[in-house]
Amino acid sequence: MRNLSMLALVLTGLAAPLAVAAESKVEISSPKDGARLDAMEQNKLVYNITPGGAGDHMHVYVDGKETALLRQMKGSHTLETLAPGKHEICIKIVNKNHTPIGVERCIKVTAE
Amino acid sequence: MDWQNLAYAVTQIAHNFGAVAVVGGAACALAWRETEAQRRLAWLVLAGWLVQAVSGAAFGAISYYYYAKFPDIHGIAVAALRVKVICAALGFILAARLLFAHLPELPRRYSWFVLCGLGVLALSSAAVLRWFS
Repeated sequence: MRNLSMLALVLTGLAAPLAVAAESKVEISSPKDGARLDAMEQNKLVYNITPGGAGDHMHVYVDGKETALLRQMKGSHTLETLAPGKHEICIKIVNKNHTPIGVERCIKVTAE
Repeated sequence: MDWQNLAYAVTQIAHNFGAVAVVGGAACALAWRETEAQRRLAWLVLAGWLVQAVSGAAFGAISYYYYAKFPDIHGIAVAALRVKVICAALGFILAARLLFAHLPELPRRYSWFVLCGLGVLALSSAAVLRWFS
């Protein structure tokens, strides 16, 4: 019985780090993918990030060009004025060395 | 054990001690004017700049090894990185010149001032590179 308890304790200890290390995830709640935006307005990017073990902060890209660095895991960011036309907006999680860890979310919008 | 973080941490340790060597070595050389002491400090500063260059490159190499990508930096951060690279190249050349060119007193003193300035500039650029991307 004591051996079983010890085994359970060891297994719990091994499993704990796995449970703590949440999976990296990027959610963009606004604008929605495919949304039409007013080119004359300042549009806000509303996001929620789970950085996971390797992630540290995020880079924002508009049409492949980095436009901002985000350190808050949840919040909103005012985008630069978008020229009329189609655009791709991406948030990439990066590590402390500014290297993308491969977790990102991109949306396509049209500014009118 | 997280090997990726360990690799970054070991590289950071080398980079930090390299920074101490280039700034501290040059500052000490301005205070201690004995030829033998300055010669030893020149070796220290030369080694420091070499460590700075190798460990700086190692940061990029570690990123490439784990993610097949280099750090994604633009604008101000790229400018700061360029300043660091130029400082390392000039610092290495100047320290080597101090060691092997047998300069007279005055040019030697000017060289130490420049080396000290390069160290301060490189460290300041490192802070910009850390917080901008």
